[in-house]
Amino acid sequence: MGNKQTIFTAQQLDAYQDCTFFTRKEILRLFDRYRDLAPQLVPLDYTDQPDVRLPYELIGSMPELKDNPFRQRIAEVFSEDGEGNMTLDDFLDMFSVLSEMAPRDLKAYYAFKIYDFNNDDFLCKSDLEKTLNKLTRNELTEDEVRMVCEKVIDEADLDNDGRLSLEDFQHMIVRAPDFLSTFHIRI
Amino acid sequence: MEDKECNSGGFMRLVSEESCSSTVTDELCVNNYQTEIFNQLPSSLARRRTHHHHQDRGTTETSHPVEKHPGLAGEARDRALTQPIRSLPVCMQRKREARDLRHLQTRTVGRWESWKRNQSINRKRLGEQVGEAMSRLLPWSSTFHTIEGRFGVGVKAYFVFLRYLLYLNLLLCLVIGGTILTPTVVYDSDGDRGLLRFEGNDSVLDFFVGSGFLERSPVFYGFYARSSLDLLCLNTPLLFLLGTLTVLILSLVMVVRRTVVGYKHTWLLGNHYHIHMSYKVFCGWDFCIHDPEAAALKLSFIRNELKLYLEEERFQQREARRTLGQWAHLYSLRGLLHFLVLVLLGGAFCLIYYATMASQAERSGDYLILRVLLHYLPPVVITLVNFFLPHVFRHIAFLEDYSITTQVNATLVRSIFLKLASLGMYLFFLFKNSQQECWENQFGKEMYKLSVFDFLACFCNTFFIAYPRKWLVDRYPSSWLARLSGKQHFLIPFNVLDLVYSQTVTWVGLFYCPMLPFIETVKLTAIFYIKKLTVLQCCVPAQRMFRASSSSVLFHFMLLLGLIMAVITLGSNLHQFEPSSSCGPFVGSATVFNVTAACVDSLPGPAQSTLRYLSSEAFVLPLILAQIVVLTSFESRRRANGKAIERLKDMLVMSTSDKHFLLKQHTLSLRRRKKTFKAPTTVSGTREGSPTTMKDPSAGIGEGSHIAQLKDPSAQPTGDDSPS
Repeated sequence: MGNKQTIFTAQQLDAYQDCTFFTRKEILRLFDRYRDLAPQLVPLDYTDQPDVRLPYELIGSMPELKDNPFRQRIAEVFSEDGEGNMTLDDFLDMFSVLSEMAPRDLKAYYAFKIYDFNNDDFLCKSDLEKTLNKLTRNELTEDEVRMVCEKVIDEADLDNDGRLSLEDFQHMIVRAPDFLSTFHIRI
Repeated sequence: MEDKECNSGGFMRLVSEESCSSTVTDELCVNNYQTEIFNQLPSSLARRRTHHHHQDRGTTETSHPVEKHPGLAGEARDRALTQPIRSLPVCMQRKREARDLRHLQTRTVGRWESWKRNQSINRKRLGEQVGEAMSRLLPWSSTFHTIEGRFGVGVKAYFVFLRYLLYLNLLLCLVIGGTILTPTVVYDSDGDRGLLRFEGNDSVLDFFVGSGFLERSPVFYGFYARSSLDLLCLNTPLLFLLGTLTVLILSLVMVVRRTVVGYKHTWLLGNHYHIHMSYKVFCGWDFCIHDPEAAALKLSFIRNELKLYLEEERFQQREARRTLGQWAHLYSLRGLLHFLVLVLLGGAFCLIYYATMASQAERSGDYLILRVLLHYLPPVVITLVNFFLPHVFRHIAFLEDYSITTQVNATLVRSIFLKLASLGMYLFFLFKNSQQECWENQFGKEMYKLSVFDFLACFCNTFFIAYPRKWLVDRYPSSWLARLSGKQHFLIPFNVLDLVYSQTVTWVGLFYCPMLPFIETVKLTAIFYIKKLTVLQCCVPAQRMFRASSSSVLFHFMLLLGLIMAVITLGSNLHQFEPSSSCGPFVGSATVFNVTAACVDSLPGPAQSTLRYLSSEAFVLPLILAQIVVLTSFESRRRANGKAIERLKDMLVMSTSDKHFLLKQHTLSLRRRKKTFKAPTTVSGTREGSPTTMKDPSAGIGEGSHIAQLKDPSAQPTGDDSPS
């Protein structure tokens, strides 16, 4: 394109373009956003792949995420250490999956992971209860939460084992009319 | 491990010794094979194929995450190699490794590819922005958004209905302006008839009564006459008639279409085939929101929807718990209340009758103001009756103990019956006593008065009742009056009734007062802003929500009822009474349809006989019969489809259980064979997908070894993914 950038090597940029849904310009822009979170921690030269990890508090304070009730789970799912501390790779990966170009099944897979609070590959009742409480900011009573969770499991559980597997979830979410438009962060 | 499983869902799962004593490596080995089998199933393959068809190049989907271990069976690994890397649900490091695995050393994303992708992304974004701009062009959409967030979907449905009526009236204005107003104004035979002529005794009160200068303006029927446009098939009276008919047919088409669409979506499909709750919970939050106000709005929106569902659930539970004695008591109470409703309706009709009689008696020598008041007596009585009785109906419906949606619908049905029947009665008595010269103008004036008074009532309601009430409750919350009236809610059914009523009046009076749609348009715009003020400033959100979608179907249906009543009234008028001989475009003809007869007679022979045949019974009756047959066939097809859907759902559950059972058995037998081998140790991080885990489809397998949940031991995230 002509503009010389010294942040990444050409191979690194190519690898990023292959591995995410972003173009070269967007990757550089995202790097700037990442760096703006903590300019003193993030070096301007990534050619030697420094191991820089931004703590969760900085990620969670981004304007795109700070009003999202699931921001902690999103950061945990996409971070390597599972605690929410993200490297640049994790950062790019997260926004790539949440961009508008990502296919539905990929988003469904990660949505499943986000709602799976206890990481047991099933959406059981406690996961649903936590999801609901985060969604309504704990404004519903326990009884009401229980009623809604029962209805959700009733609707989506295809194999009748009382919890939602990835297959159940995908089967249900594939027919949702607005899943793609809601599970999408514009950055 | 057993404790953990029990806690994770409150499930009591039987655990076999094998799962307790199995090592990490054994389980992982089993998982690998399980994945392989699953990926080879015809259903997984078919899913991947259809997704491949539906996606663009470059974003093909994976329906299953693929393990990256070298222990992977050949076929699954081949599939992994053909998917685009960016769609793989693994972390970035793994993707880089996959990329290297594919020996992609050279630049794969050339300038051309990159530019093409840029362009497609830009086009998509542009399309989105255009869509957003168009929806913002629709008037008042930001108001709707605010109202929806604060007050729920029901109140928004009212305002959407109002906007729809506004569009309808604008369309009617266009048609009337084109066919009735313009030809008369342009082809004016005697040039000295201006649009507005002020004479001696005109006063401001004429505006409210419709006499004086208004009577001589295009507002009423009497203004129009045979003008210089006088061909056999293109003259002003014919255009007048055609314009009115077009307006009514257009309204009919639009209202029917909207009613049917709403009916299809909400009532026919019902609650069985909609997955409301799952979508609301999992797709409820819009991840694009990034300012706190929008977040708060979205939050209250979600909360309202959930509360609606919970309300319905609680009611159903309460109903299920009723004993026989309670049912009997409830039914007798309901019967009594129905009787009370009938008595009230009868009383209201008698009142209107007496008011009409009193106002028809012409009395000269009274003061002008008194005469005006007497003119307005029937509309006043009708409006008062329609103001108080629906509230009574509302309390009656509350006593009848239906679900809240049914309460609202029942109140709506009763109130619309009251409103339309009182209007019908009023019209009937008007016609019985219409023996004057230019009775059409008289009738038009009555409709005009009804319309104007309706607007005055709305205005007074807002500024003399709503605002003072709010002021009272705010300033003196502990006074007895404030406690009696309580906080104001926006009562959707009554406001919708007002809209339907005013639209019905417009349709009924259209023929005799052609400018009514214009008046209605202005009225609706004013009402929108008044109601918006009322809602946003004076009302608090209702605690109990009702399902607005079924009610909005009712709104349109009531509108349809009003339209049918208008058509019947107009039709019977045109057939029964002959046009007065002193005013209007049909002077001199015995009936209004003389003009159409004259036009038809001038057409060539075949056209005439065709038209005559089309309007005869020999054509209409078979048409009706054919429609009945078609309707019956559709109805039976619908019923058959419903049964098929239920059967298919059962089949789906059963076959999924079968599949999992067979997988489990297969894995068990494989595992027994592999028990002697040791698989290489691999530790998977938190993000590798282990797609399926074992479930217990049903109890009672012969061997008695139920396997509990087999999962990769990702409970301890290690963070380093060592590729093996």
